[in-house]
Amino acid sequence: MNWLKGASIAVVSAGLALGISQMVRQPVEGQVPDVRISRTADGKPDLNGIWQAMGTAHWDLQDHHARSGPVLELGATAAVPAGLSVVEGNEIPYQPWAAARKKENYENWLSRDPEVKCYLPGIPRATYVPYPFQILQTHNNDILMAYEYASASRIIKMGKTEPPPVDTWMGQSTGRWDGDTLVVDTIGFNDQTWFDRAGNFHSEALHVTERFTRKSPHLLDYEVTIEDPKVFTRPWKIRMPLYRRQDQNAQLMEFKCVEFVEELMYGQLRKKTGDEKPFAAARMRWP
Amino acid sequence: MRIRGLLSLAIATILISACVRVAGQDQPTETNGAEPATKWTAPRTPDGQPDIQGIWTNYTNTPFEVFDEKDNPALYSGDPDGAGRGTGPGFINDSFERKLTKGRSLVVDPPNGRVPIMPWAEEKRNYRLGHIQDDWVNFTPWERCITRGVPGGIFPTGYGSGYQILQGPGYVSIVYEMIHEARIIPLDGRPHVGSGIRLWNGDSRGRWEGNTLVVDITNYNDKGNLATNAASQRVRSIPQSEDLHVVERFTRVDEKTINYEVVVEDPKVYTAPWKVAMSLNREPQYELFEYACHEGNHAVPNTLSAGRAKDRAPARAGTQ
Repeated sequence: MNWLKGASIAVVSAGLALGISQMVRQPVEGQVPDVRISRTADGKPDLNGIWQAMGTAHWDLQDHHARSGPVLELGATAAVPAGLSVVEGNEIPYQPWAAARKKENYENWLSRDPEVKCYLPGIPRATYVPYPFQILQTHNNDILMAYEYASASRIIKMGKTEPPPVDTWMGQSTGRWDGDTLVVDTIGFNDQTWFDRAGNFHSEALHVTERFTRKSPHLLDYEVTIEDPKVFTRPWKIRMPLYRRQDQNAQLMEFKCVEFVEELMYGQLRKKTGDEKPFAAARMRWP
Repeated sequence: MRIRGLLSLAIATILISACVRVAGQDQPTETNGAEPATKWTAPRTPDGQPDIQGIWTNYTNTPFEVFDEKDNPALYSGDPDGAGRGTGPGFINDSFERKLTKGRSLVVDPPNGRVPIMPWAEEKRNYRLGHIQDDWVNFTPWERCITRGVPGGIFPTGYGSGYQILQGPGYVSIVYEMIHEARIIPLDGRPHVGSGIRLWNGDSRGRWEGNTLVVDITNYNDKGNLATNAASQRVRSIPQSEDLHVVERFTRVDEKTINYEVVVEDPKVYTAPWKVAMSLNREPQYELFEYACHEGNHAVPNTLSAGRAKDRAPARAGTQ
């Protein structure tokens, strides 16, 4: 028993030593970085890896209880799980007209959600759709974020950039390091993407500021500030953890979903041969 | 007591060294690949890879294959009536002032510069190209906005032929401007995914042989094809089988040039392996734009819609 006591003291001493070395190494304001965070050759926190959000933010950023899914035949397999809000304060500060539009979107989810049609997800939705994404951090330069969903990707340019020449689905991302936090500013969006499957939306005036902070070898803190003066009355924030995929053989797989929506979008235009196989989700015809 | 103290010290040491090791585990390590004697040596990334990063384009006036009298460019372009789409021999992009070279053909092997396609595959292509108004599966995967494929995606086309290569510890990524592919190639020697997994773009595994990045690609599905554009002539819309095996070689030979070679082997489709050689040219001022293909795809529904209109009014359509 006595040796165990000695070991406990040693553990405490080691912990204390670590704590001290943390304080000495990284006194960044408001954050206590983990000493185990590895760094790239240029001294930045190493964000390389395959990451994924857990939870149900992709269904609805705000508090939501469980509900039935949109296709009768799919039963419980496609019902919507409950989830707690990732929105700071739970409220999304819509202007009155926009609150009405959000409600309409929610009620017409299947015909309006760009994800149903396999369209590019935009930012920040790309981060927390229920698929992994990979960060590839180059030496002193651009950072690639590649998303399994729809083979979407973006290249975050570090440092100063020119204004975006055109509006796009994924926007134009510019990155910088604020201490140990990767801060990504994204503008130049079109007004076509959504934030979730609950109809939360924005205009082309959207400005997204993301903060990626590595809290431990396997955990990123993801905080996003959303500004859009055409749709919201003030900026608002979402926040969630992103987890490193632990699978030894983890790799991004193909989810080229265009193939899965062609019947939905073009099915009524196909030449009928008489031996068509029944389409399971035939009741979800587009539009 | 002394023993206990030593034990505690030992545990503390283990704990601390474990923490140090965790802190250091992602740090890149220097590797020294065997270097062939070349005039120009590529700079190295911190993890010791030859640095092939940057923005590259591959616009060229060189035709894909050597032309043959029996070729039918109008058919290959998907425009048998010759009324609509271009049937140009090259990959001209006249929106930029580039000095484009024109060689004999991108296909360098077989020596005649012709892809050795089996007759059945040409017949399948002809059927598909002649029936795009019936069903979207007769379009190429590019026109369906699924993918231009591997290696199809790196064969030059008339626009959007920009590629950004990025390297991080243990990975090379090639971002294709056309249909926004970000292809991620692991370098850690892991085996290919299991044979039950079939992919449009196959499963890529890379390794460095001196200054050359060698990428081995297997696990293709049999739904894709070498969906290069109309300028690729006879090879456009040729199917691929699950036996397709592709080996790419990227060698940076000077500041501005990557020599790209690819060997395509598909014993069900080609009578022999064939090889393309071309260069990727560094073009730092080139900007990759978002190619939101599917989001703006009017070609597929409009073409099908035209087909159904013809079905309804065959007499009128016949006079067009």
